[in-house]
Amino acid sequence: MDNQQQLPPPGPTGHGDEVEVRILTPHIAQPHFPTMQVTGYGLSLAITLIAFAMVAYHWIGLDTLVTVLVVMAFIQGALQLGIFMHLREAKGTLWHLPVLALALFIGIGIVGFSMWIMLFKSGVS
Amino acid sequence: MSTATETHRSVARPPEFEDTHESIRILGFWIFLTTDVVLFGSLFSVYAVFRNRVALGPTPHQLFSMGPVLAETLILLTSTFTCSLSLYAARSNRLKGAVAWLTVTLLLGASFVFLEIREFAGDVMAGHTWHQSAFLSGFFTLVGTHGSHVTIGIAWAIMLVLQLMSGGLTVTNRRKLYTFTLYWHFLDIVWIFLFTVVYLLGIA
Repeated sequence: MDNQQQLPPPGPTGHGDEVEVRILTPHIAQPHFPTMQVTGYGLSLAITLIAFAMVAYHWIGLDTLVTVLVVMAFIQGALQLGIFMHLREAKGTLWHLPVLALALFIGIGIVGFSMWIMLFKSGVS
Repeated sequence: MSTATETHRSVARPPEFEDTHESIRILGFWIFLTTDVVLFGSLFSVYAVFRNRVALGPTPHQLFSMGPVLAETLILLTSTFTCSLSLYAARSNRLKGAVAWLTVTLLLGASFVFLEIREFAGDVMAGHTWHQSAFLSGFFTLVGTHGSHVTIGIAWAIMLVLQLMSGGLTVTNRRKLYTFTLYWHFLDIVWIFLFTVVYLLGIA
């Protein structure tokens, strides 16, 4: 038994849900085939396999490898957020973005600054 | 497509957010995920700082092998894909599809946890426990915290399957499925950084 959902009046309500940012244009239409999901899966598989191959076959030097792998991790993480965690549907749910920004701010703050201060001129890592 | 307003209504807001109360619960779940970012961020920093403090124990290079990590990674990636298919089926109002994909997700999650426990057991058998070095303490805490999150996720998924089968695709159950997929994708993002920073950079 499907509960009846209370739909809001159509169109922008004038309460801050009019978003003009291009990348936040919502995309909630339900297609007949889950193209987005399949694309996301394919892309993350490809990135993962390339990352493993770079380590296994020593394609590039160690110094560059660290940077490249971390950048690839960030790309893949962004892919997950954008495709699977519905960031493209953000228009109706714009109030979630400050929370996400807070998470990124705290996360990068903790990791970045801890490493910076703890490994400061220590010569390790 | 009947009218322009009809289309507009359908894109105003994702279906799980139409009900105000459920929508607030999803926001609450995002706040929980933020606190989890703090948890994992701290553990990642500890690991990064103590990575080279191996004492008399093994170095990351000696401890890790690529095979099991690749298997675990592929399993977890596939499980987040099936998890998103579950929500897709729910949005298409296909209850059976949603339950089936959710079951596949939790089985994949269980095999991930199995592989990880086997890896940990192998390390401990070889004498490499968390007592041995700061590196191993950091490693077991970080990877173990992620593994326990996945385990909790499996328990959650089992309960969700039961609720979906007994209650169907109600407004509440749809929101529960939505928050579960957020949780599961979040764990996948953590694992992406984990296999990169811990395993790949350890092996490299």
